Formats: sequence, structure tokens, C-alpha cells
Amino acid sequence: MRAAIEAHDLGADVALLSKIHPVRSHSGAAEGGINAALGNASEDSPEEHAFDTVKGSDYLGDQDAIQILCDEAPGDVYQLEHWGAVFSRTDDGRIAQRPFGAAGAPRTAYAADITGHVLVHVLYEQVMKRDILTYEEFFAWKLVIDDDRCQGVIAWDLLNGGLKTIGAKTVVLATGGAGRLYTGTTNAYACTGDGMAMALRAGVPLKDMEMMQFHPTTLAPTGVLITEGCRGEGAYLLNSDEERFLKNYAPNAMELASRDVISRAEQVEIDEGRGVDGNVLLDLRHLGAEKILERLHGTRELSMTFAGVDPIYEPIPVRPGAHYHMGGVDTDHELGRTELEGLYAAGECACVSVHGANRLGGNALMETITYGRRAGAAAADWALTHTTVAVPPSVEADAERELKTLLDRSEGERPWQMRDELAKTMHENFGVFRRENQMKEQERIVGYLRERYERVVVDDKGAVFNNDLTQALELGFLLELAACMVVAGIERKESRGAHARPYDFPDRDDGNYMKHTSVRWVGDHPVLDWKPVTMTKWAPQERKY
Amino acid sequence: MDVALKIWRVDEDGERNLVSYEIEAPEWACLLDVLDIIKDRHDGTLAYRKSCRMMICGSCGMRLDGRAVLACKERMKPIVESGHVPVISPMGNLPIVRDLVVDMGPFWQKVRDVKPWLDPGYDEPSERERIVSQQQMNVINKEALCIMCGCCVSECNAMESDPDFRGPAALAKGMRFVGDARDQTSVERLNELNDEHGIWDCTRCYFCNERCPKGVDPRDAIAKLGAESVKEGIDWDMGAKHANWFVTSAKTTGWLRETELVPKTQGILSALKETKFALALARRGKVPPPGPIHVAADVDESRKLYNLVKEQGRDGALGIVQGERALARIEHVEAEGARRDAPEITPGEEPPVAEG
Repeated sequence: MRAAIEAHDLGADVALLSKIHPVRSHSGAAEGGINAALGNASEDSPEEHAFDTVKGSDYLGDQDAIQILCDEAPGDVYQLEHWGAVFSRTDDGRIAQRPFGAAGAPRTAYAADITGHVLVHVLYEQVMKRDILTYEEFFAWKLVIDDDRCQGVIAWDLLNGGLKTIGAKTVVLATGGAGRLYTGTTNAYACTGDGMAMALRAGVPLKDMEMMQFHPTTLAPTGVLITEGCRGEGAYLLNSDEERFLKNYAPNAMELASRDVISRAEQVEIDEGRGVDGNVLLDLRHLGAEKILERLHGTRELSMTFAGVDPIYEPIPVRPGAHYHMGGVDTDHELGRTELEGLYAAGECACVSVHGANRLGGNALMETITYGRRAGAAAADWALTHTTVAVPPSVEADAERELKTLLDRSEGERPWQMRDELAKTMHENFGVFRRENQMKEQERIVGYLRERYERVVVDDKGAVFNNDLTQALELGFLLELAACMVVAGIERKESRGAHARPYDFPDRDDGNYMKHTSVRWVGDHPVLDWKPVTMTKWAPQERKY
Repeated sequence: MDVALKIWRVDEDGERNLVSYEIEAPEWACLLDVLDIIKDRHDGTLAYRKSCRMMICGSCGMRLDGRAVLACKERMKPIVESGHVPVISPMGNLPIVRDLVVDMGPFWQKVRDVKPWLDPGYDEPSERERIVSQQQMNVINKEALCIMCGCCVSECNAMESDPDFRGPAALAKGMRFVGDARDQTSVERLNELNDEHGIWDCTRCYFCNERCPKGVDPRDAIAKLGAESVKEGIDWDMGAKHANWFVTSAKTTGWLRETELVPKTQGILSALKETKFALALARRGKVPPPGPIHVAADVDESRKLYNLVKEQGRDGALGIVQGERALARIEHVEAEGARRDAPEITPGEEPPVAEG
């Protein structure tokens, strides 16, 4: 939406296309906040924000991109405020900021614990104000590639049925993550990596796909997110001995160490028998009822509804869950441009890369805004200065034929079992800690599932709201992404950020692996390559919190 | 656990069928999980919307035993234990597309009709944020929680009889901007929301408050819009006149002078047309004697109350406190069945004027 608004304001003829209504987007589930060095809670600067982000990324983030993000973040947050975002306020009426993990200053601007919700709605308000054409509930399936450029998308119209081709001089992918690759995930059912897979199939490489962030505080059994804002407000993490175990892992930052560090610490506690039914405990009780009700009301609602626990009186059982894909469609650091002319990407589906091997809490929303704006501007600029679109009829005919084959198939396997097996095995074999043999096993499993997927069958043959069909297509996306992740994970023979191999390569290896993985789809399988990391002024240091 | 439920299946041509299902589900399953199991393992053609499964995206509004819910929020265990077989159906007041999917188009059109974006009164923003106190923002904190799921609209009795009624969701969105200290068009907004099918057409059945899954309390938002309208002198609608007469009557004589209520609300001419109806009511003893007009013995109490409201500046939205504690009102039932009430948040005080 941020890209669409920018492109519209620059004079381009824009349409938004989304498989769910725009306000249903999973950005709305972001709770804790958005990082910008506003300096409202203490001294701060974009420079410090950039350093924290570089360090947090375990030196895999591109420093030129990080600098852009941190420099432009404050202006973008002010803009959101002027558009009407309902931020929480300081005593002197400025935008309130809270401490977040691995940040040197309280930098995370927030709206209680519903920041993402507030921002998604303010963006949609601006979309309505501009009356931007919106294709609601259009499931984007394929990019139209002709003449070596992206010329639009082919989408399944959920409400009315049928494939629709929407020609466009430029396309900005903003389709979010692929958390549905895992059983325990904070991600919505919609997070199936559609844009990444569409780009991959169009020949565009994906970068750093092995880097899947595990959030330290998700609720059993389904992985619903409990915000980092809890720890920002002062909550403790306890093991079964009621001990703040982080003193053994991150003695200085404690609960405010970075997410990869805390997730690993929790997993060790759980694996070594100091968990509580496979969880650790997030204790908010000492914060007091008033603070919990005012700033963490949504968290209380979630833990009461999904875990039957009222955090005013009891600690919340939490464990690490798949949360955010640092990897994604490879774009440049300035404009969100991919190597395919006319195709741009922004937000979680893109890898700019500002998050490197580990994202800091509060930087994701900021990236969607800053790089959404940049990609929107770049896409508008290109569209306004180049010629028309011509979608060859053969493209549509091919897609129609492929879809018909799928819908006509009556013998085979329905998708759900493959989906569940994929998610379960990814969790076991490609989770917080990674072992060579498990990753190889996962490579085999994904290959086997992809074979089975060749015979996938859809129950619903109708036209109106056939999401049985779209869920089958989503599984196809997920399987290819899993293949890319595993290949990159096996070859990165070191431990960096979210990619932890304590059993064979426990240390970071800057000499050999301070570089991005880049996976391209060739024939019917992923092919790995490497790309350099851009360093400007921050030389790698040991990472301690 | 074994879950039994019935689902109203509606096909593309509007053909309806109540279908029974019995499935095995985990103890922690919500209604949405149960629907997923049915769709995966029993019938892939079942259509419903879903996404976040954590009560924030607003996709999965539907009815459980005729009451609008978010499917992801409804735990099935208590229902299973009670032995009841619930009936699942699509939301009301919106056209059905198929099964549990409704056409949200009319819903969004009504939201668009309230011009749901901030009008800050300038084009070029200043370099920094505007200075607004937390108290000022608190005025709209419940309205800002709205996830646009449509549960309130589904349940709205006024909309059932007048499909053109703006409805609770759109009006709550309206209050979100009327109450925003940064918005410069509150009076224009109030004038529009006072139109035919506007705030005074709400029948005050409170179903929207009761069934909103997020504690937005749309009826309270409508009441606040009414109070703000009267405060701004926008009182030409019969609804506003009706409310005003209650105040005048209580302030002057300390009791509600019902005989005068109809002419004061509708105007004398219009009221005369109702004479026949009034006489019929009187014959059956349903009209209180019109006089003698007297002043109630304890009228001072009512006058003091009136003055207090004025003194505290609570004659607008700030006077509407009936559901203000909803945010803190969620009760927690423990294993033993004992209820714990959460501590309450006190409603905001009079907000200072916005600066910047």
C-alpha cells in the first residue's frame, strides 16, 4: 500500500492487487512497533540505529541499504503520524518510543501493542482517500514475462472465478513472508511466500533464503505472537527453576538481547530439561495491572484466549516459532529493483538486504514503509517514462491450460497432508539449530514432496470463492521455497544469525562466508551462487549482548 | 475430542442446505481449526475466509448459533462439553457469496461514505510530528481497535429494517475521526453523520457492543457522535430533539414531561397528525395525565447533575462512559470456575486543545 500511494502521488496509474482484502494483510499482526531514531525517549541518531542494525544482522546486512533505511526512517514515521496513525504518546505529546531487543536506545515507536494494525489501517485510509483501484481477493499466480521484462500478473479472481490478466509496465511485489513453511509460526495462513516463488519462477534469484528468524515468544500450540514489547516494557523470561536464564547467555542485555540469541537460549533450556512442557515462561506480573492493560492489552487478550492464562496473575508459556524471513527476492539497495526489468519488491518478500542474518524487532515495519515508498517511486518513474504494455495472448493461454490440467485431475493426493508434512519436517530439520544430516534429510523430503505434488488434486471444481484451488497453488510455492532454503542452508558452513550449526560449525566464518547466498531456479531445481556483502564503515566485530 | 456441528452450506445459486459434521479435533481447537479439519479431510469445497488466526485481520467473521463471532476466537471445548451441537452460518445483513463467505462490498462502501481519512487541514506537513497528548488520543482508542470484521453490521437490527442505515462499523470509524484532536473537519463530519440513515436511526439494541469481538463498542461511538452533535448545536434531527427534551424536562421540572415529548421531538404539526393514535393510547390508559405541570420535590438533584456535567465539560463525547471500561472488562474464568474481574481503567479526563 505504501508503494501504491507513492506511485499514485507521482502521477502513475496504479492498481493494488491482493489475495485478501488489504486490511487483512499480516502486517496488521505486528504488535511491538516501528524503529526510527526520533530521539523522543532519549538521545538517539540514525547512525546508532544503523550500527545496531548492522551488528544485529551479524554483519550480513548490506550497510549502504541499512544507512538509507535508518536515515529516512524518522521522516517516514512523521509522515505516518500526519496521515493519522494513532501512535502512543510521551508525556510531552510526542510519539512514544520503547526499548527493543539489541537496540542501543529506546527507538521503537509504537501504538500500544497494535502498531501494525494501526499502520495497516492508516495506509488503507490513504488508499481510500486517493481512490486507488484495488483488485480485492485476486490471487496472483504468475508474472507476465515478455520481451525480457515483467509486464503484469495473471491472477485468479476468487469472488467470481476465472483467470484475469492485468497488464502493467511495472510490478511491485509486496507479498510478505512464508512462515507457513513451519508448524509453529506467528505467520497468518496467507503467508505462503507467493511473491518470492513467482519471482523465482520468472528467473529472478532469491537471496539469503536460509535465514528464517525464530521469534522467542510465541504461544503454544499454534505459534501466535506475543510481542517483544512485553520485554521492552520489562518482562522476564524464566525457566522451570524460575530463574532468569538469560544471565547465562546474554548477561548485559538479558531479555533485550537480539532475537536469534534468545531463541537459541530458550531452545537450549528446553532441550536440557529446564522448560515447562516444552516452553519457557514470560513473566509480566511485576509490571502491574495498569501497565499491562494500557500498553499490552492485546497481549493479554491473546494469552487469555489462546493459552487460558491471564498475564496479570500468571506467567505466559512461550517458545521459539518461525516468524520472519530475512531472505527474499534479491533487490538493489536503492530502489527495490530486481534484475528483471519492470519488477520490484519491498517488505518481507524482498531481500534488500537490511536484516542480513537476523532482523531487529521493529525494523520490519520500518522497511515496509521506507523501501515500499522507494520501490513505489522507482516503479512509477519507470512506468511514466517507458512505453506501453503488450501481453501476448499465448501467456494467458498457457496459464489457462495449466490451470485446466490441475482442475481436471480427479485422481491424486489432496494438498493438506503434504502441507502438514512439509511444515512439520521443516520445523524438525531446519529450525533453530541445524545439523548437516538433518538438512540433507530435509532436502530429500522436500524432493519427495515435490514429486507427490505433481499429482495434487483439488476437491473444489467451482468458480466462486474456490480457495481450495488457491491453497493448492500456495503449497506449490512453499515447496519450491523450501528447496531453495535447504540448499543455501547446507552450503553455509558456519553459524551466523538465524543460521546456527553448533554441532559442526559453531562460529561465524567471515573469511569464507561473509557473503549472501543467491539461489536461482534452473530447470526444475535450485542452483546456489554467492554475492558479496556491501560494507561501508562498520568492520565485523564479535557479537555479544 | 469429538466435535459435532452443523453448517449452512450455500451454493453459487443460493441453494441452502444444513449439513451435519462429526470430526475429531484437538482439545485446543477453535471454530476455525474445526473448519480447517473439515475442509482438509472431509470436504474441500467448504468456503470460508481466514488469515491471521489471532483476532487481528478480521477475515473470519461468521455466525455461531445465530450470533456473530470470529471463528479464530471461539474455543470449541466448552461447547463440546455442554453436549450442544452448534449451527454455523454466514454473517447477516450482507449478501451471501457461498457457504460462509459474504460479499463485503456494501460494508466497505459504507465505510468509504464517512470519508475515513484524517483531514489535518494542511497539505504540507511540518518537519516533525504533531504534539498531541495521550489523553487526547485516548478519546479514540477503542474506535482505533476496529478490525473491520463486520460482526457488528451482521447483528445490527436497525440495518435489518433499513439496509441504507450507515451502520455501527462505519459510524465507529466516523467517531475515530470526529474524536481525533488532529482532524479539522469534525463539524462537517457530524453534519453528514446526522443525515437520513445516520446516527439517530440506531435503535440502541446494543447488539453491536455485545458482539464486537474487539471491545470497540460501536454503540458507544454512536452515542458519542450524538452527544458531540448536540454540543455543536447540530440538533435538527428528531433524535437530537428527543434527547434534548429529556435534558430540558429534567432540568426545569425534574421529571419527564412525556406529553410534550412528541411535539418537542416531531414538531407541533407532525404531532397533531398523531392525535388519533394518541387518543387510542389514552383510551387504553397508556398516556400519563398531562398535568398539572409541577416541579419535582428533589429537582435540585437533577439540576446539580446538569451543572456538574457542564462544569466538567462532559456535555460531549466525554459524557458517554457507559461502556468505557470494556477494554478492561474481559473476564478470565479459571479452572475452578471462579471469575476474576480485571482492574479497571479510568476513562480519560478532559483533553487539552491540540497544538502544532
